[in-house]
Amino acid sequence: MTKNSLVQRLVLATAILSTLALTACSGGVGGDQNGPNDEGPIRIGMLAPLTGSESVYGTYLRNGAEMAVEEINAQGGLLGRPVELVVEDDGCDAQMATAGATKLVSAGIHLAVGGYCSGSTLPTEQIFYSNGIPQVITAANGSQLIEAGLDSVFLVNGLATQQAQSAVKFAQKQGAQAIFTVDDGDAYPKGLTDAFAEYGQPAGLNIVAHEQINKAEKDFGSVATAIVGSGADFVFCTAYVQPCALLNQQAKQYGFSGDFLIGDGAVDAQFADLTGAAYVERVYGTFTQTPDMLVGAEQWLASYQAKFGAEPGPYTTQAYDGVRVMAEGVRLAGSTDRQAVADAIHGLRGFDLFSGPATFTDQGVLADSSFVIVVLKDGKFVLFDDLKS
Amino acid sequence: MALVRARPRPPDLLRPPVRLPELGPSRWQWRGPRAPLRLIGVLAVAGVFVLPFFNASTYLMQIMTSAYIYVMLAMGLNVVVGYAGLLDLGYIAFFAVGAYTSGIATTRLGLSQVQAIPLVIGICVLAGVIIGGPTLRLRSDYLAIVTLGFGEIIRVTANNLQVTGGPAGIYAIPGWQFFGWRLRDGFTIGGLKFNGQVTFYYFVALIVIVLGVLGISQIARGRLGRAWKAVRDDEDAAEAMGINTYQAKITAYIIGAVWAGLAGQLMATQQSAISPPSFQFLHSALILMAVVLGGMGSTPGVIIGALFISLAPEFLRGVSDWRYLFFGLLLIVVMIFRPAGLWPATSLLPWSRDRRLQAETGPPSTAVKSDHRERT
Amino acid sequence: MIQVIVNGLSVGAFYALVALGYSMVYGIIKLLNFAHGDIYMLGAYVGFVVLGALTSWLSLPTALGLVLVTLVTMALTGGAGVLMERVAYRPIRHAPRLSLLITAVGLSFALEYGVRQIFGPKPSHFPVQIDAGSVNLFGATITTARIIVILVAGVLMVVLSLFVAKTRQGRAMRAIALDAKAARLMGIDVDRTISLVFFIGSALAGAAGVLAGAVYGTIDFLMGFIIGIKAFTAAVIGGIGNLYGAMLGGVALGLLESFGVAWLGGQWRDVFSFLCLILFLTFRPTGILGGRVVERM
Repeated sequence: MTKNSLVQRLVLATAILSTLALTACSGGVGGDQNGPNDEGPIRIGMLAPLTGSESVYGTYLRNGAEMAVEEINAQGGLLGRPVELVVEDDGCDAQMATAGATKLVSAGIHLAVGGYCSGSTLPTEQIFYSNGIPQVITAANGSQLIEAGLDSVFLVNGLATQQAQSAVKFAQKQGAQAIFTVDDGDAYPKGLTDAFAEYGQPAGLNIVAHEQINKAEKDFGSVATAIVGSGADFVFCTAYVQPCALLNQQAKQYGFSGDFLIGDGAVDAQFADLTGAAYVERVYGTFTQTPDMLVGAEQWLASYQAKFGAEPGPYTTQAYDGVRVMAEGVRLAGSTDRQAVADAIHGLRGFDLFSGPATFTDQGVLADSSFVIVVLKDGKFVLFDDLKS
Repeated sequence: MALVRARPRPPDLLRPPVRLPELGPSRWQWRGPRAPLRLIGVLAVAGVFVLPFFNASTYLMQIMTSAYIYVMLAMGLNVVVGYAGLLDLGYIAFFAVGAYTSGIATTRLGLSQVQAIPLVIGICVLAGVIIGGPTLRLRSDYLAIVTLGFGEIIRVTANNLQVTGGPAGIYAIPGWQFFGWRLRDGFTIGGLKFNGQVTFYYFVALIVIVLGVLGISQIARGRLGRAWKAVRDDEDAAEAMGINTYQAKITAYIIGAVWAGLAGQLMATQQSAISPPSFQFLHSALILMAVVLGGMGSTPGVIIGALFISLAPEFLRGVSDWRYLFFGLLLIVVMIFRPAGLWPATSLLPWSRDRRLQAETGPPSTAVKSDHRERT
Repeated sequence: MIQVIVNGLSVGAFYALVALGYSMVYGIIKLLNFAHGDIYMLGAYVGFVVLGALTSWLSLPTALGLVLVTLVTMALTGGAGVLMERVAYRPIRHAPRLSLLITAVGLSFALEYGVRQIFGPKPSHFPVQIDAGSVNLFGATITTARIIVILVAGVLMVVLSLFVAKTRQGRAMRAIALDAKAARLMGIDVDRTISLVFFIGSALAGAAGVLAGAVYGTIDFLMGFIIGIKAFTAAVIGGIGNLYGAMLGGVALGLLESFGVAWLGGQWRDVFSFLCLILFLTFRPTGILGGRVVERM
């Protein structure tokens, strides 16, 4: 290749380019040809992690949304049109989520429901917003999600700050003298421990130390001995299942005997198995209510089991509720227009959800979110304290 | 009748046994062994430029733009690894430095993206010197681990500091703005409405890549490029020939760093949000894979490699669970059958009559030098 | 202080075990075997399956059963290592070195996601766990399981050193590491010796995997990735290609990390250990033992 050759190549390329540009009257530049349609089914696009380390939760989200869509269609659909669910993988990765979100937009979705990881959900907000699509975020709950101030974004899961307040309340109730907090450096767990410190210190809690673990490792001996060495009697671990289970095990091997509280990301039936039978005592979790804790949810549970042949998992109900909130907004607005739907959802007062009656604040989060305390008992997490009293 | 009839001279004697590859500047050749490849290159460049006129769905533009950013990264790494032979396992660090510099400059310091460009370049030069500096004495694998370490240090630091937004990263990064005209508004030329937000990045990335190809091929053919290749093939010999190896290596680092930093700024503005998980070691490994898979030191090869690495997972979306397994096996198979890469620096079309040219001159020397004799 | 050192030693023992195989392979064919960490993961899963099968057939005392399982796993992962070398590395041994690196990364992906397809993305619970309380050592607490790890690692390393130093095959390995061509001329079967190196290195990684399963009680398909990087780092600190260096490097990395947590906190641990590594390599560019020792096996 030489200078000349490159110049010629450019000239040629430009020539071809301009010829084609002139002849391309069909013109793709305008954007999506198959944008949202006013006829046919109403499409709900969902982003969920179907690959990667969080892929288990993606399936839970998808199942919950499918339940809701099926129910809506059984009742005659929305605005007289059937509802269709389109699911794309976001892999809990910002790049993949952006690609997935634009793929949904190109597929002509009207509404967006979903999102598990805060980091990968954040860049999708702007994509949906600028394409006129209202968005309900199902599981992700980092506080930065509402800081962009987009008025058509709603969160059906409680914020980290709300969960931290529940954890503070619980620590006070347990009479914790010295508290040790642990996260894994990811956005959501770290936000949770930060919020815990923020609300805990004014409330008089004694947070003796904070430590960070690497979620991909297995030996947390350094942190376990630090917990024991600090004389803590209460640990708040906000990482995911495996690291929290291992930390609980290793801390107790080194002689820790206090309460071990985990954040909602680690509340999973596998916890007991992973931490080992000898260390399941005094393990608690902050969590939103699940169907098996509610009276009157038996029928819902039964139809879920009939459909998927398995128990619902974490965030299944949030996905189910998310679709219902969105559908209610469309019904009240009488259209799928972003602004109209957003106004309708903002206007909801006490809409019935699994987590309780829902009213959204101006920022699009639940005004009253009910985190409860669950306890590990016989290998399962069951309701321990609803913190109402 | 002549008493002595001259024996016909064997024709081969006066011609060199192998047609030598042409050196130095020469005219663009429409004939000759590599002409078909050039034609393909021209058609490919033209093709991607007109692609948005036929299909500009948001999705296609998005994945193509991401792929172009990968191409930029792979081209930059190609300078460091392919030309200068410095194995870099932490190249994503420069990408992160560029992305964070532009993010901090625009959201915290209130600069516009255009004003941030010199800052990005400056900080990346600095990062190149800082990372390049201590590594100049090291060779191959020791260099690899130090660059890996730098990559991790940058990511972990970004995860822990306040100014970088911690694990949540920086969001609401403003887009490009020129004299009051904002991209978001889009624009109309000749009756065609351009959706600025999406299509703009596509063309910008493409133009930047074309400029990069031109620039890097100029440098690679020049004095500096020859110095790099000399250092790559034998550092001691290069030094003996009077090449300032330190200077050659550090320039390679700086060029690679600035290029990755600009790619980072483009990514940050296109995504409008950046966070530490985008800069993990895995991404450094993937970019290195793009370079080696395509063919080290070969610009078209590296471009193909980068497109492959970034688009393959998108096309394999349908088989979501299996895709990384396929991806891994594909890498092994490709390397076994094309050990020098898909499109090595001296490649010809398989059906070309001049194939023997390659066979007789032997494979290109693109290996990162092994250090057999270094420790005695 | 003693607690910090003890913590570092127990982590370092793992790193050293995995780093040994890394360094051996590097010493003989100059390959950065990125799939080595995944052999460790494979070892954990092979142990998981073998243990499951074994406990359903016969009821052995846990300790004996674990030793047996470790031996079987070592044989199987060793075989896997040899197979890996045959299929993915030998055909391109004379290609540019970075091409081998790519097949290694490809193998790593294939192993990780192959195991994921079989056992699923969730972590699995290892059926047997060494859990015999903890003891007090010079004022520091350490669990018995971790003492066992240190001992096992120590024993394996001594055996390996003796093997390389005293036996015929060991001599062959050292010869190839010095000069493969000359070794071939001296009548050494280079291919066989390289296979043997892969066998031993992979068997050690497999043993480390079973140990990890038995000590921590959980295994997952991505567990090899991070330890592979740590082992690489450890091998380089020690002087890559040098056996004793790998052991020293593993322990040194474990200690660095432990002190990093103690002094700066967990979030700065990796920054601390990598900064120490970079500073150290700036002053000593070939690692602890890299330059001085001529023999590199």
